[in-house]
Amino acid sequence: MIGNTRPLAAPVAGTALLRTTRLTKIFHGDGGTVHAIRGVDLSVARGEFVAVTGPSGSGKSTLLHLIGGLEPPTSGEIWLDDHRIDGLSQARWAVLRRRHIGFVFQFFNLVSNMTVADNVELPALMSGASRRQAKARREELLAELGLAGKTRAAPGRLSGGEQQRVALARALANRPSILLADEPTGNLDSSNSADVLRLLGRVHDQGQAILLVTHEARAACLADRVINLFDGMVADDAAVLPPPRSSLAAAGVVRLTG
Amino acid sequence: MRAGVRWIRADLRARPGQALVVTLVIAGVVTALLLSATVLEGATNPWRGLFAQTRGAQIWMHLARGTDVRQLASIGGVTDVVGPYTTTAATLLQGPTQSPIELRAMTPAMPDVGRLLIRQGSWLNRAAPNGVVLEASFAQAVNATVGASLVIGGIDGPSARVRVVGIADTSDQGFYPDQTPGLVWVLPTLLRQVEPITRHTDELVGLRISDPADTSFVAQQAVAQLGGGDVREMSTWTQVEQSMARGDLLLGLLLALFGLVALGAAVLAIACVTGGRVLVQLQDLATLKTLGFTPAQIMGMVVAEHAALGLAGTAVGTVAARELTIPLLHGLPAAVLPAVAPLPGAWVILLGCGIELGVVLAVAVPGWRAGRVQPVVAVRRSPPAGRLSRLASAALLCRFPPAVVLGARAAFIRRLPAALAVGGLAVSMTLIMIGLGFVSTLDDVQQHPADIGLAAALTVGPGELNPAQASRIVYSDRDIATVYPCVSVSALLAAGTTTITTLAMGTSARPYPFHVAQGRLYHAPGEAVASQGLLDVLHLRVGELVPMQINGVPVIFRIVGRIIEPEYDGQVLAYGLDTLSQAGAAMPPVYYSLVLRGGIAPSVARAHLLARSSDRLDVAEAVDPASQLGIVQVMLNGVLGVLGLIGLSILLTASAVGLRDYLRDVGALRAMGLTPLQVMTSLVTSTTVLALIGVAVGALAGLVLSSRLVNAGAQAYGIGAGIGRPPSAAAIAIAVGAAAAAVAAAAILPACRAARMPIAAVLGP
Repeated sequence: MIGNTRPLAAPVAGTALLRTTRLTKIFHGDGGTVHAIRGVDLSVARGEFVAVTGPSGSGKSTLLHLIGGLEPPTSGEIWLDDHRIDGLSQARWAVLRRRHIGFVFQFFNLVSNMTVADNVELPALMSGASRRQAKARREELLAELGLAGKTRAAPGRLSGGEQQRVALARALANRPSILLADEPTGNLDSSNSADVLRLLGRVHDQGQAILLVTHEARAACLADRVINLFDGMVADDAAVLPPPRSSLAAAGVVRLTG
Repeated sequence: MRAGVRWIRADLRARPGQALVVTLVIAGVVTALLLSATVLEGATNPWRGLFAQTRGAQIWMHLARGTDVRQLASIGGVTDVVGPYTTTAATLLQGPTQSPIELRAMTPAMPDVGRLLIRQGSWLNRAAPNGVVLEASFAQAVNATVGASLVIGGIDGPSARVRVVGIADTSDQGFYPDQTPGLVWVLPTLLRQVEPITRHTDELVGLRISDPADTSFVAQQAVAQLGGGDVREMSTWTQVEQSMARGDLLLGLLLALFGLVALGAAVLAIACVTGGRVLVQLQDLATLKTLGFTPAQIMGMVVAEHAALGLAGTAVGTVAARELTIPLLHGLPAAVLPAVAPLPGAWVILLGCGIELGVVLAVAVPGWRAGRVQPVVAVRRSPPAGRLSRLASAALLCRFPPAVVLGARAAFIRRLPAALAVGGLAVSMTLIMIGLGFVSTLDDVQQHPADIGLAAALTVGPGELNPAQASRIVYSDRDIATVYPCVSVSALLAAGTTTITTLAMGTSARPYPFHVAQGRLYHAPGEAVASQGLLDVLHLRVGELVPMQINGVPVIFRIVGRIIEPEYDGQVLAYGLDTLSQAGAAMPPVYYSLVLRGGIAPSVARAHLLARSSDRLDVAEAVDPASQLGIVQVMLNGVLGVLGLIGLSILLTASAVGLRDYLRDVGALRAMGLTPLQVMTSLVTSTTVLALIGVAVGALAGLVLSSRLVNAGAQAYGIGAGIGRPPSAAAIAIAVGAAAAAVAAAAILPACRAARMPIAAVLGP
């Protein structure tokens, strides 16, 4: 059973890492009933980078919350590495997130009373790593993300881009099976957005599976596959074509303008 | 585990002020509790304090003259051998009265072990060869003061006139007259003068041992070594402790209530402050959940953090209590606290564990709430639902300042923080009012002793005069307003198994002015009033009949009223002297209770009576309630201070929570055009409106509860309901005014800061 201390099985090429079947979420509130997710089927293969796009209110973030166990689904199934996880208790979900799921949010959500170093070391410490191991992993990640000099800083004293990079380091601390990113560039300027997207691309190149929720086409272009969500349903699910060779593109441009 | 510790450390670093307040509140409560327990223990068990201060011996033995005591030091566990001191039985002669005494010969050098605690005057010295030091309770019983001249007579020897040079307390023997003979310390020369025959003297030896639990064993060994024939008398510390123990009902009642109030207040404060801290940390706690903290881990972290603060507070409080015990309590009258000694370690540990358990229980609920925080809060912040109420709309239409209306509305739409703030402050204010009610009750007891049945300031016995002479002097004295002839007589209940104390006081035509809490005083023969303790023991109610035997004569009393009675363990039946004569069990009055004219001091009236009778009347002043209860007032002031600190911590937490919740709205309001002053007004209103409601509700609840609580406690203790008083108007005004000022101060400072923050910063993520 997933959720105990046993790690997930070793990756097997070609099998789906994450799978949802007829996933549904209905909110009951003061304003009536809202069908946020309506029978979504999706899958993410190992090492795959999938982007979920759609207009505001289409259910992108809700889908991510369901997959990460932040909210329980109304119905449907969620499978991670051939283990069904939608019915787990809160505590088992917590352990699963700790070991296998990394989260990056639009508003960073760093623990405000902890330093950058504490924030990044926390997941490793939680999963039973020694202080030395947690520190080594933190140094490795912060160096890779260009934050080596900020270890003692409080999150509130960092720029938005830096905070998001710290959040990314924290999400990757336990080498998760899948990284769930919810509008990670939504609160950043273009330069910082480009930095964060470049880092996501680099992480993906190292074999990290990523499920990215975004409404930015530029971010979605990085993905292997883009799922378009509309009114809580999958409207489109298509692989992103490899970019055209630069010479052809240039020729096209020449032809059009010429 | 490591992650939890890391988070706790980070939280303590990030919010040191809050942590400090929690620690100080707990420390204050621990200090107050320990000090009150020290007083209670010291007042009810004076032996322990006396033993500690005199470095007393646990075992005392009267040995035959010439016994070799050197071998006693070699007994295992004996750390010191005190003496031997030569002692002899003698008599204190005061006119026809003879009091048995024991003379103990000691040198002018005060020993290190088995010392005496000099209360007045000085110790023996060679310059005054006929100087004596009297044991304090004996000196009080025989009305001897420093400088008094007394006559001591030996059993067969001559009498000697001596002068009292000092009065001292000792832990060697219980108080006179429960324990006789009275102790008198003299120089060896004086003892030889009073008792020249050596074989009439004993030698007194004390053994101080390392472990009091070994007393019996060591005593047996000592007897075995000395030979049973040489040991004439032996006493151990347990006997002395038991004979000194006294149960002061009123003091015990008030201190026990005080302890309960302090403990309840501490638990409440910790629960409210922790609840507030959890509300402030919701965002971070939700983030921790997204990282993989389980609900149990989060609850564990919150509980562990506050348990650690509780431990720190308990440690600080324990040290403070240790340091403050002597300076604070040393100046108390010996009648209240014969000697001060820090509490035994086991008591301190027990109280510390109790407080720590209270802290853990108090934070369990907020901790459980923290564990249930939804991780999705981290990513979706929805404002609490709430329409502009009709009242708010009407207020705006009436041109009520919009900032005030919006602030007041903001205070109520977040229900949990509002309930925490109002509830926390209301309970603190209630407790403060109850404390003020205690103060008011004590003032009343001190200023109007008649209200607790202590109407008479003096009690006079015939002493060396015959009853007729005594009666003539007492009835003709100009200082005395009313004389009540009295007799105390034991009565056997009809069942024949129980004997109770009954008091025939005054007559049915002129009954003693007991404070009647229920029913009325006795106005006809056969009628009686009883105190609560007696009614409880006999399962009686006012209006019922109770048959008894007095001097073998059956008497049936109708209980017509319930009186307040703080003495005799609250078990008293009182009636008129004419009841006895009518029943055929007439007894002459044995003493007179005297109510003085207004403005006459009891000491002056006593001196006047003694002068008129040439010191032959036996005149005793009634116990001064002020001297007994002064310490309770000191402790109450302490607990009021702690309660104030608790209220302040709740207020600061409520202010922080309110500000956090309202800040984003304020950003929007500023963007809409509210001026910084309006923003500040709005913020101050949102915090103060709840706090003021809490203060008002608490003040009202306290007013209703304070006298009822004292009465309920007094009833349970046998004193009887009816002594409780509500707080005075001035005290209420000061308490409510101070609370309102604190509320305003706690709200204005953060509001000023928030009003000056850039709009973008307020509206940011």
